[in-house]
Amino acid sequence: MTIRNARDHGQRYRPRMACLKKVETVVLEMQDPKSGVKSQTQRLVITTIPHAITGEDIVAWLANRFKIDALEARAMGTMMVAFGYIYPLQDHKRLILKPDTSLYRFQTPYFWPAQQWPVEDTDYAIYLAKRNIRKKGMLELYEQEQYNNLYKWLNHKWDFIVMQAKEQYRAGKERKKPDRVVFDCQERAYWVVHRPPPGTVSAMDYGHERMVDPNVVEKKTSEYYRRIIMFTQQCIMRPRVKSSVSIGALVKCSTTYKEHDPFLHPCLPSNPWLTDDITYWNLNMPNVEIPTKMRVERWTFSFGELLSDPRGRADFRLFLKKEFSGENLAFWEGCEDLKWGAAETMKEKAQQIYKTFLARGAPRWINIDGKTMEITVKGLAHPHRYVLDAAQTHIYMLMKKDSYGRYLKSPVFKETQRRAIAPEAHRFSDAQLEQNGKRRRPSLSPIILRQQEEEQKAKLAASGPVDITQLCRFTAPVPHLAVYTGICEAQSTASPGLMTLPNSAACPSPISVAIDSTPASERRFDGNGGPSSSHFPSIAEASVSEEENQPPVPKSRMALSLSKLLRRGCNAPSVFASLSPKCGVTSGGGKVQPLGVEPLAQPQSRRIANFFQIKVDIPPECRIYPIDSEDEEDDGPDTARGVKEIICPWETVTKQDGAG
Amino acid sequence: VKSVFLSVLLSVSTQVVMNRWRQSVVEIQSRKREVNECEQAQAALSKVTACFQQMATSLGTNADGSCLREELEETRTLAHRICTGLHRRLLALLIELEQGQEDKEQVERLWVNFLSSLEHFQQDLRKVRILREFFPLTQRKDRQALVNTGFAGGTSEVAARAAMVQTPWLSAEETLCPVLKSHVEEIDVLLEEMLQRVNVPLWSVEPTQEAWVEGCSNQDDDDESLEETMEVEVVSQKNTSGCCHHQNCKVGCLLCLLS
Repeated sequence: MTIRNARDHGQRYRPRMACLKKVETVVLEMQDPKSGVKSQTQRLVITTIPHAITGEDIVAWLANRFKIDALEARAMGTMMVAFGYIYPLQDHKRLILKPDTSLYRFQTPYFWPAQQWPVEDTDYAIYLAKRNIRKKGMLELYEQEQYNNLYKWLNHKWDFIVMQAKEQYRAGKERKKPDRVVFDCQERAYWVVHRPPPGTVSAMDYGHERMVDPNVVEKKTSEYYRRIIMFTQQCIMRPRVKSSVSIGALVKCSTTYKEHDPFLHPCLPSNPWLTDDITYWNLNMPNVEIPTKMRVERWTFSFGELLSDPRGRADFRLFLKKEFSGENLAFWEGCEDLKWGAAETMKEKAQQIYKTFLARGAPRWINIDGKTMEITVKGLAHPHRYVLDAAQTHIYMLMKKDSYGRYLKSPVFKETQRRAIAPEAHRFSDAQLEQNGKRRRPSLSPIILRQQEEEQKAKLAASGPVDITQLCRFTAPVPHLAVYTGICEAQSTASPGLMTLPNSAACPSPISVAIDSTPASERRFDGNGGPSSSHFPSIAEASVSEEENQPPVPKSRMALSLSKLLRRGCNAPSVFASLSPKCGVTSGGGKVQPLGVEPLAQPQSRRIANFFQIKVDIPPECRIYPIDSEDEEDDGPDTARGVKEIICPWETVTKQDGAG
Repeated sequence: VKSVFLSVLLSVSTQVVMNRWRQSVVEIQSRKREVNECEQAQAALSKVTACFQQMATSLGTNADGSCLREELEETRTLAHRICTGLHRRLLALLIELEQGQEDKEQVERLWVNFLSSLEHFQQDLRKVRILREFFPLTQRKDRQALVNTGFAGGTSEVAARAAMVQTPWLSAEETLCPVLKSHVEEIDVLLEEMLQRVNVPLWSVEPTQEAWVEGCSNQDDDDESLEETMEVEVVSQKNTSGCCHHQNCKVGCLLCLLS
């Protein structure tokens, strides 16, 4: 580090500080001996000091000068105190303007808050050392903490700091006593503003720093004009609505949210920023068990609210689990993950999502219309962050129009509503407030929060709700039928012989086409990329009938596979039948149009052409691949090679040329 | 003859060795002296910059005036002279001390302290420059803009304290002091040059001072804390309720006088 402030990088301009210049002009007016605030002399035991002003005089002057009412003048005065242009002589830690005879004084310009340079830690260290010298070690608790911190962090400069502190202390003593008192007051006030003690609200407690000085008038270079042109062009291109419509929306938003806005309505039990009591935050943690009534009410405002609240989303997920239509939400979450996740895993994520949700015969197939599917698959050839946007929007609207309404009437939601808590408002006395202020501690580090989030996700993935829509070779049936949620979690296999999902993390993700060369498959094969409806009903019946019989002697592949299936410890077929896969959540399923373009023919010729179908409302066009362990056995013990995966169309294009 | 020759040889060689030894001792001693000079200069620089800051806090207040500004200029000139001399000597010492020697730690510490003081001083210079621009005293009416902060007297004592500083080269070398604006820039250049030329990692320097030690010295026992001073004020304020011009203040006046 160079001694110079390393974090500067030109990013030293504070936001919201454009008002500083304006406050300075007001202060100069205020201190005018003729037309400014009336000044008095402050009487101390040792001496008298001039130029003290009372709070009520300040309020009166401001009200008169700007033609505002007393309350607003008081607020403005408080702002000036919070910035540090005026400091209180009594009760110096509370940076507010009291509209009574409490005394204040103007801060010297040297200690005015400046926009150009941040307050240095070195200066604060020197100040603390000086204070230590004067008070002989009796610093306040927060000052002691700061001192120790700075001693560690500025250790290499410490000799300089102590030397400078001593010299400044001695230089200060050269002045006459009243001036010394004034200077000490000023310095103390300066540091109360810039390093506020716990419980003090200072206006210099700002957020991130900006790259641009908001006070400087920008030079009109060509770069500037280019920016302005771009900005105005975008303004013109924005969609517009009638003002009546937009005002109506604003009114609606205000009436809906006015009780939920902490600025307008006190939040229960109390606002932590005001009372330093964090019960409110604890009650509203992202994954709290029992939400508050206000929070649950917010979920009813719009579907977006429900989804953006993690607790709300969890509730919705539970509801969908009960309805066996969780794949929509899972798909939506997968898309969000893709959009906002790291760039390096994007391709894999896109593939996984396709394989799990979009491909024909995918285990958690979602129902989107053909045009969207076409666009999506085309885009997936060159996946990027927003490739699934169209599909995601479609599913979002689906959930919003259909599931959301049902959710709000569902027993799940009603139960949650019933159990929601409405905490009582706190009523803290002043002493208690001060106690709370002293007990302030920093919140959990973001690292810990992130770890907790990851744990949550892992828990969710591991013990997720049942969500299987279709049984297929890629889904290992597990006795208790809890399969999986989402895409990339570990496979929960009940028995070792079951095939692992290609989607599980343990599995390699090569897009390898396993060649299946049984004649039976070819015999049964559909032969083209398109769906044929004639096949299925018969197969369905056939499968049912074959389920009922024990595996017959002329073992068709289907029967074989079924027997294997049954021997593998699946539940009775009735369970399968009782599943209600929601291939199409909306009415009139079967919206999937054939992917006419894609060269699915070739890989399909290699697939097993045994289909069986769960006999509920699956649209005929759905193609499901049976769990077929036989091929695996035929191919030998090499399970990795034997795993047959859903082929993503773009990959087959690249791998096998001239397909289709 | 041989023995005489040998004895002469021996005496010459011992003389040579002795000379060399004396030379190195002299070298060590002179370096020690230089290091001590630098330490003193650093202390002087601290004093001068502290006084400079104390005076700068009066800028823009009712205590501001041409007198104050002149004093500031003088102090700044003084600081500049100390800085240039110290800079030159420290640089020489550091270059000399490239090989690991006992003084190395001390010189490195001096180096870091000097860099910190320069930076600190430059900060003050910047503030002073801005303040002087903001509160020009060229016209009479400008005095109205000066903020009434409660300062009564001036800072001449502080300036005097700064002026009392002594360094070996102060009177000897006469360097031209730049204008305030270019002084700031000059320090920028100086700092960069120093950081480039000398390869001392700043964090490797260990201070001699322990934490909290400075509060243990019992000088100035009669110094009351600020809180005490201001606390008492509250009590007396209640009694007097303002200033003596209050109408019903006859009794109050007495109390004022007594308190």
